[in-house]
This record gives sequence, C-alpha cells and structure tokens, in this order.
Amino acid sequence: MARKKGSYAGKILRIDLSTRKVEKEELDLAFAHKHIGGRGFGSRYLYDEVPPEVTPFDPANRLIFTPGALFGTAVPAASRTTATSKSPTTGMFGDGHSSGHWGAVLKAAGYDMLILQGAAPQPTYLWIDNDKVEIRDAAHLWGKTTMEADQALRESLGDREIGTLVIGPAGEKKVRLAGIFSDGIMGTFARTGLGAVMGSKNLKAVATRGGRDIGIIDTEAFRKAYRDYLQVISEDPYVPPATKYGTCRFMYHRVKFGIHGAKNWRLGDFDWKPLDPEVFRSDYQIKASSCPTCPVRCRREYRIPSGKYAGTVTKMEWETIARCMTCGVNDPEGVIYFSHICNQYGLDVEGIGDTVAFAMECYEKGLLTDKETEGLPLHFGDPEALIEVTRRIAFREGIGDILAEGALRAAGTIGKGAEQFAMQVKGAEMSAGDPRGMPVRAVSYATSTRGSDHLRSNPYVEELITPEEGQQFFGSPEAADIFQGLKGKGRLLAWSENFVTIGDLLGLCKFAYYRSATFSYLREKGVELATRFYNACNGTKLSEEEMLLAGERSFNIEKAFNVREGAGREKDIIPERFFKERLVGGGPSHGAVVDREKFDRILDEYYQARGWNERTGLQKRETLERLGLRDIAQDLANRGRLG
Amino acid sequence: MPKTNSRMSGLRRGMKRRVLYLSQPDQADRICSGCETCQLMCSLQNTGAFNPKKSRIKVVTLSVGVSVPVTCQQCEDPWCQRACPEKAIAQDKKLNLVVVDEKKCTGCAACIGACPFGIMVYDSEKKKAMKCDLCGGDPACVQYCPSKVLRLAGNYDSAEIRRRRFAAILANEDDAARHSIAGAEQIKTLPKTMTQLATQSSGLLMERGK
Repeated sequence: MARKKGSYAGKILRIDLSTRKVEKEELDLAFAHKHIGGRGFGSRYLYDEVPPEVTPFDPANRLIFTPGALFGTAVPAASRTTATSKSPTTGMFGDGHSSGHWGAVLKAAGYDMLILQGAAPQPTYLWIDNDKVEIRDAAHLWGKTTMEADQALRESLGDREIGTLVIGPAGEKKVRLAGIFSDGIMGTFARTGLGAVMGSKNLKAVATRGGRDIGIIDTEAFRKAYRDYLQVISEDPYVPPATKYGTCRFMYHRVKFGIHGAKNWRLGDFDWKPLDPEVFRSDYQIKASSCPTCPVRCRREYRIPSGKYAGTVTKMEWETIARCMTCGVNDPEGVIYFSHICNQYGLDVEGIGDTVAFAMECYEKGLLTDKETEGLPLHFGDPEALIEVTRRIAFREGIGDILAEGALRAAGTIGKGAEQFAMQVKGAEMSAGDPRGMPVRAVSYATSTRGSDHLRSNPYVEELITPEEGQQFFGSPEAADIFQGLKGKGRLLAWSENFVTIGDLLGLCKFAYYRSATFSYLREKGVELATRFYNACNGTKLSEEEMLLAGERSFNIEKAFNVREGAGREKDIIPERFFKERLVGGGPSHGAVVDREKFDRILDEYYQARGWNERTGLQKRETLERLGLRDIAQDLANRGRLG
Repeated sequence: MPKTNSRMSGLRRGMKRRVLYLSQPDQADRICSGCETCQLMCSLQNTGAFNPKKSRIKVVTLSVGVSVPVTCQQCEDPWCQRACPEKAIAQDKKLNLVVVDEKKCTGCAACIGACPFGIMVYDSEKKKAMKCDLCGGDPACVQYCPSKVLRLAGNYDSAEIRRRRFAAILANEDDAARHSIAGAEQIKTLPKTMTQLATQSSGLLMERGK
C-alpha cells in the first residue's frame, strides 16, 4: 500500500545561477492549501522576492515555475504549468501558462516549484534528475531552435521521456516577445516576454526526469468526480465543435459578432473564408490530439502537404490565426508557416502579430519607410512580409531590432506619434477579439493583471447567462445584455476573474473547464468539479466559496504587485483607438466605439465589487485582510499605496 | 498462482483477450490523441498513485502529432517467460494471460530486455517487474480512453478489425491519407518499428542466453 500523500510533491527547488547554489525547501502544507498552486504559488513568491527596485533583466529578478496543484494526476485536462516573473514587456507582474509534460515531470522529480534567480556567466542548462541537480554548460545548445534544442537534449541525456523547457534564438537575444517552450513545441509560456527573462539569465533549457508517485487520498471520490466530469462534457454542446475543429472554432464566434480586429484592430469584418475552420480541418489537420489527460481534444497539429511550405508540421491554436488577421493575412498556408517559425524561434504569436500589425500601419501611414525596413515592404495582407519581419525580430536584424522591444517601446523609438498605433494594455499587446460594442470585454482587457488578456477574466460569461442568472449572481438582469447592459457588469467581471483564476491554481485548462454553452455547466465544471477534484486528491474539505476566495486572493496579490510598481486606476485603460474610431464591420458591433462613460461606470462597479478604492484603483486594507494578506496590506501601507 | 487470482473472475474463460489499439483513419478524432489518460489510470488502478513510469501501457510519441499506445500482447510463447531465470513469469492457461509472480521476482530485469514490444515495466522503487494483466478483465485504460481507440478484443476479432482497416486504406489510400495523415502513417510505421524492436531485443536475449 502506497503511503497516503496528496497531489503535492512536497519540496521547493531554488537554484541561484550566479552562485551555483542549489537549495531544497520543504513545502509548507498550510501555505499550499491557502495558495493552492500554480499561479497562486508564483504570485506569492514573486511578491515577496521581487521588489520595485529590481528590473526585469536584473539577475535578482526571479523566474518561477509552478505546475498546477492537480498536474500529474489523471484529473481531466489538469496539464497546466505557470511561469511567473517581473515582465520585460510590462515591467509589472508577468506570467505565462503552458501545457506539456514538463510540469508533471517536475512534480514526479519531487518539486512543486522551481525558483530561478541570479544569472549564469555563460550559456547554461539545468539537469534535474530526481534528487540530483546539475548546472551544465549549454554551448552545444545555444543558437538552436526550440525543436532542435529539445531533440539535442533528449539525445545527449539518453532519455526520450524527460520533460524539457527551452527558449529559442529569440529568447537568447532577449526579444521582449519571446516565450518559453515546453517539450519541444508541446506548449508555450507565451505572454509577457518570459523567454527574454530566461535568456537574460543565460539559461537555455531545463531538462527534468522524475520517477516518483503523485499521490491521491480519496480514490473513490476522485473516480466519482471523474465520471461526473465526463457526464457534463458529454452533455455540454460546447464540446463537440471543440473536438471537431480545435480552437480554430472561435472563428465562428468572431464572425457572429463581427469582431475580427483585422488590420491592426480597425476592421471587424474581414475576408475570413480562406481561414474557415473547415479548411484547416480538411486540408491541414493531422488529427484531434490533446494535452495530457484531456478528454476534450481541441489541440491541433497541422501539416502543409504541398506548395512552397510543403512538409511543415507544427502546432497551432486559434490566436495565431486571429493575429494573422490583425496583420491582414488570410492565406492558410502562410498562417501555418508563421506559426511554425514562431514556434521554432521561440516567439509569442500574439505579441508578434500585434507588433507586426503596428509596424504595418506605421508603414501604411508613412512613419516607417523602405529605408527603415531595408527594402522590405510591410503591406497588410502579405504573408511573406509577416514571415520575413518575424525572422528579423527573432534575430534582431535591422527593423527587427526595433520591433523586438514590443509595439509600445518600438513606437517610442519611431516617434512621430506612432504610439497611437501600438495596440496594447500596460505594454502587453492585445489578444482575442475587438471589444468595441461589448463594454465589459473592454474593461476586462484593462483590468487584467498581466496586461491585455482575454484569459485573465472570462467576460464570455455574459454571453451565457440568462437575465434571471444575471439577477441572481450579479445583482442585475442587465448583466446578461452583451451590448447595452451596464449594471451588474462590474460584479460579473470580478467574479469571472476569480473564477478563471481557480483553473490557473489547479492547472486546469480553461478550454476544458472555463468555456461552456451554459452558465450552469460552466459553474459545475469550473467551481464544483474543480473543488471536488482538489479535495479528492488532497483530502481537504475546501468549499466552493473557499476555492473562489483562493482565486480572489491570487488576483489581489498580483494587483498588489502592480500597485507597488506604481500602477493605479490610470493603468487600467485600453488603447485610445477603441474609444475614438468606429469599428468597421458587418456584425452587431458595426459602427460602435467604447463609450468612455460606460467604461468608467463598469470600472467603478468593478472596483466596488473587488473592495478597491474607486478613485485611485488601489486596494483597501480591509479587503487584503479579508483575504488573509495582512502582511501585503502592511507593505503597501508603508509605501503609501493603500486605497 | 498469480497474485490477482480473485480479480480474474471478470474474464470469460478460454478466450484470449488483448488490449487492442484501433485507429479509425477516416475519423480524425478517433485516433489516439496522445492524452496519456490510460497511463495514469493504469498506475492508479495497479499502484494506488499516479505515475506514468509505473504504467503497464505506454503511449509512444513517434513524431509531432503521431502517438500510439502499446501494451502487452499476452504472447502464446512469451519471450519474457523464457528469459526469466526465477520462473516468476507464468502463463495462466485458463485465462490466457501472462502474469508475474511478485514473490518470485528478484528484479533482475532479464524480461525487460527480452520483451519484443518493450512493454515489460520495471518498478525501480520495489525492484520488481510488472506487466499488463488486463486488470482482471476490465482494463482501466480501455474504460477511460476518451477517444475510444483502446478496446479489449479476442485474437480473431482483432485480426478481422485490422484486416478491414488495412483494406479500407488500400481501397482509398489518397482519401484516407488526406483526412488523416497520422492514421495512415501509424499503420505504415507501426509494424516496421515493432519488427526493429523485436530484432534488437532478441539479439539482447541471445547474448544473455550465452
């Protein structure tokens, strides 16, 4: 009989790359049950260890990897790991989330958290083989693409079943749009430029081998929850199209609302037919594949069978297609190839897509000319221009060196009023669909703690709820009105931010738990089953309210981090374009702008719901104390940053 | 007698059964998705904890987007049994299973090197060999496979299914390949890989035999 142990591995591994010191600390279970795991662990440690004086590329900055609390178990779609650091893109709280094997392997090696600090003097990689930890020379890996480096590691270590994290050439060159890649191209810690932080530490890769058990306390409760989960997803109409098309299916959502964000967020309508999910499915998709333990199977790898890019095989998700549309590109093979090079060079497709779209608009408006681009015409809709400029960004060649800093910083270098074309929030480039016409979505991009992000909240909730549910949960039937509703929207946003954070604590995929066709399925999966799985695996008795509270706690720690960096209400804002320029498109949002007054009213209600000061956007002492964060309240008080 | 005797009652007597991998080349969502749920459910069922290293079924990823689950074929004349110096591996003639007697196993790993399919599993903590015993008739892997590509079938059933699948590909190879490159590829590469494995490990066995 295996000894009864929950889903935590039990240790924290800390490696100082400057002093080559390796430390192992015990994981305190009281801490674990308070902050749960994943994003919860990462945010708490980052707050405690990285004060405002530390800049993102300072060796004192931390890079923290935390597998979700349930990663490593067979809980469906529990396959997410969080990477946390001070972001070189925003200069504030930064994190990325990835699927892949590595997180489970880290836990199997015995660690719930990997904290990296310091910087190595020369290219280095880490070899974590259960208890044995080595800092090794990575001269043979430096310069390699993600897939090459992953393969080289597996070959040189003589084990194909290890887990790996690697950065590509872009991360090595501290491109602020670089991500960290898990197990080749299985998953990407994409947003907020964490690949550049890893590059600044001269760390090319982390290879890990683990053979320990991940425990479970109550197997019967687990099996029961598992069956209930399968039952929900077998009924939920959200699932079959996800299995059929993968994330490409979101095209139909964008078409329905006319919110493509094409040509640098000017057009809601776009010639999207060549990018129909059916085209990808019938002509390019290899099969319905999935991340570890996921029954939904919305992951996709694509192959280009013929033509100029024949033989290209890569993983691609919906956001790649969306960001190609931002650059006006609608050639499916160009899109797949673009995804391929981003994966190989180690780039974040969302950041790159928006940054290139920014450059294309500057080119269109004459702020960038053939002189700056060295003869490369940056026209909207040209896949070759997109692909070539992406390559230059990855290697910081010519114009690529300017754009590698991200849209906002590049706008500063270009000058001449280019800032108005940089579509970003807190310095992080936009993602997802156009918020004009849908006010709560606009506010959600603004309140995200890591810069513009649609996965930080789940404003899609408003599309699912009925007026009665709006009244019951958010205090107003208006919460269910997507276009005109105002009351209840702030509460809906605060709730949904807490709600999706649960997924990041536990390592659950948002597509498998935080998207649904109805609000009741959504709550059943995202709160009830998530809590039951956690309790079954760990023998705890957390209530659903306590789980939501844990989500709120993590969100508040991240907010406090940003507040300490100097960000208040003025930073919770979206680009001017959305307030000023009417959306050109064919959908229900046609002709809309974000109404500034409505935006402010929703934001007011949101701050109230959060217990933050409406005027300044800063947190109140009683809010932080209610969440068990007295020490953070004191720290902010000492700095005069309480609301 | 095998340790799991009481669990074997679920098996119909006298019928040879295997876990069979079925891809449906014309349905891209009925090919192994590579989710590895089978591995974790196997280890939970048989060890009480999650550990893919202790799973008796393994999902092998051949290349990006190509993954195939492999497990014990319950051979008629098992290589593992021949290789075992302790006579710890026995065939249960009634149930047509090959099982390891944990008490007799000394953990020498001769069977690991002998298995042509590479699916004898070594528990490095307990220092024992492990293998698939079909969970006594209701394998966890089959039960929880989300893509429903694992199935328990008799020898003759499985031959028929494989034959039909092969014929379908021959009949309309281009179409099958277009709709499911991986499906076609798995069918083309799998026997070759297995042959190579078999050749390599039999070489190892002969050396050990000397």
